[in-house]
Amino acid sequence: MRRQGRIGLSLLLVKDAVIFSSLLMMLSAGLTLTYMTTRVPNFAHGDFATLNVYASLALVRLFNISPYLGTIPAFMLGGVVALVLYLAVLKPLMDRGANYVTLMIATIAYDMILISLINISADYLNRVHKLITRLFQLRGFDVEVFGQPGLFVIAPILAFAMITSLYFFLNKTKFGVAMRAAIENPSLAEVVGININLTYAISWFISGGLAGVVGVLMPLYMTCNPDIGIRLLISIFAASILGGLSNIYGAFLGGAVIGLAEVLGTGYLSMSLGPWIVPYRPVIPLIIMMLTLLFAPRGLAGINWKRLMGKVG
Amino acid sequence: MPLPIPLTFLVDLLTLFGLFAIVSMSLNLEFGYAGIPNFGKLLAVAGGAFFVGAIPGRVIAYLLNVPTELDFFRNNLEVVSSINQVLASNPIISVCYLLASLAGAALAGAALGYVASYPGIRLRGDYLAMTLLAMAEVLRVVGDNWEPFIGGSLGVRIPDPFRSVSGEYRPLYVALTILGVTAAIFVYLELVSRSPLGRTLRAIRDEELSARVYGKDVDRLRIKTLVVGCAIAAIGGALYSFLTASVSARDFNRVTHTFWPWVMVIVGGAGNNLGAIVGAGIFVTLRKLITFYKSYFEVFVPFDVVWLEYMLLGLALILVLLYRSEGLMPERPTKTLKYEDIAKAIARIKPKEKT
Repeated sequence: MRRQGRIGLSLLLVKDAVIFSSLLMMLSAGLTLTYMTTRVPNFAHGDFATLNVYASLALVRLFNISPYLGTIPAFMLGGVVALVLYLAVLKPLMDRGANYVTLMIATIAYDMILISLINISADYLNRVHKLITRLFQLRGFDVEVFGQPGLFVIAPILAFAMITSLYFFLNKTKFGVAMRAAIENPSLAEVVGININLTYAISWFISGGLAGVVGVLMPLYMTCNPDIGIRLLISIFAASILGGLSNIYGAFLGGAVIGLAEVLGTGYLSMSLGPWIVPYRPVIPLIIMMLTLLFAPRGLAGINWKRLMGKVG
Repeated sequence: MPLPIPLTFLVDLLTLFGLFAIVSMSLNLEFGYAGIPNFGKLLAVAGGAFFVGAIPGRVIAYLLNVPTELDFFRNNLEVVSSINQVLASNPIISVCYLLASLAGAALAGAALGYVASYPGIRLRGDYLAMTLLAMAEVLRVVGDNWEPFIGGSLGVRIPDPFRSVSGEYRPLYVALTILGVTAAIFVYLELVSRSPLGRTLRAIRDEELSARVYGKDVDRLRIKTLVVGCAIAAIGGALYSFLTASVSARDFNRVTHTFWPWVMVIVGGAGNNLGAIVGAGIFVTLRKLITFYKSYFEVFVPFDVVWLEYMLLGLALILVLLYRSEGLMPERPTKTLKYEDIAKAIARIKPKEKT
């Protein structure tokens, strides 16, 4: 009986872990994409998603539309928000020869504006439409697929679809190849006539779009609050750094590892040590992140696996 | 006699200004002079505050023979109020308690700074910034959840060293104390920035390789900078706790104690202590004014006016970065010796050469 309860609990945990990892994969891939182009860790990335969390709330509660139908507008909204950051703030700064600290501060400044917009919309939905906008979730509005919560099936599929389409985009289309060229060697790419500015802008748009899709689906799974983006940011950074910050597929892998480690780690530790461990959950990605930076700063993608295996074996 | 309203407003403003000026000056030492992007400012500030919440209260309870069966955290109110009675009647003990706590907080901050220097000498640029950010976050999470430390999310009350001054005059006394500490730190940092050490730090910031070539021990100086910077920031955090006579991990987060000090330093002008102070002054005044006039706006808009403040700050910061990236008070050229002094020094050397 007790054994069965444990297995049931484990299944729940695995479901949680799969959903969280899938969402994290998309977020960290976006962050990595912008880091590769502009070389700035984007502190506003989490709030690209949070903005769409509230769009999702309004969509579901005011218009009674499923968040799944909102993914495409959410991609647009997230993309535009990211594009504005690049075109209106980062690009002019880079043209003036700003260094990385200035760019980081600029993303923080933009994040403050986003925090303000997020909280204003949360307050507005709360005071005018009488909705619960702090610590809310929309699990009840999820669809059921094969008797499972829809997100458990759809989130991994979506993440996988994003990887494959990004792969095809970057490797098989002319524009994608131009984009990779612009990332790897901007001046050479410019010489052969690639519009670097356009390729960078597109990568920011895709990055924000991915975050937007995550944001619109997030309330179906986790309890959301205006500060969720700020909280998630640590996990996103950890996943991207683990992935190497220079490789999109690495970021997907990092997202999967961090997501699983966070959910399963906290879950199993709390089962064996007691529930007091649960609030320490953010410590897991932080530790992984610090260890990565100190011992393998180029992340999973930078480790020479063949040599490592040779040493071990 | 109660203080008039404009005066309480001013006292509040100056208190907050002093607290933030301490933190922004410490960041200016680390980033403005030494070029270390410390995005974990929260680490030291919270470290100082957590130290004051965890240690001095317990020590003074032991020294004043508060019954040992009373636990500092579980019987927090009883313990603290019995200590407060002693402190209220004995200003000398109060002052000793305050000074010893600040010294302890500075030591705790220095220790955290030493820990932060482990990545500080191994990583550069944005990687270092993210690591320090993560370290600060770990400390915050621990403070927020580990109850025996500083009471977890409930927080903990601490003995009030300003108890000996009654009622209405307490804020004034607190403000003067904080401003005194701020002034002392400003003078110290000004002296540092004009000393050979200050010039060496700038040299490392501008061209690390050249500094190494001239035989400067870059790693040791970076450790030193982080230790001193974090000690100063910890004093700021400790003073904040004494202001409210309580410590709660909820009062310290990435936005208020890392990002805001960065805003102050960048707006004021990095590499200039006066700039850090001006930045803190502008920031605090803006915030105070918005909070003061908040109730007038509140009627017209369906949201909390605090959030407009975030938007204003974000926009202002972006504008400063775009149009005045060196800040309102740019870094001044390094002060060197006057020509007469150099001539005197040469005159002193020359006779020796003849002999």
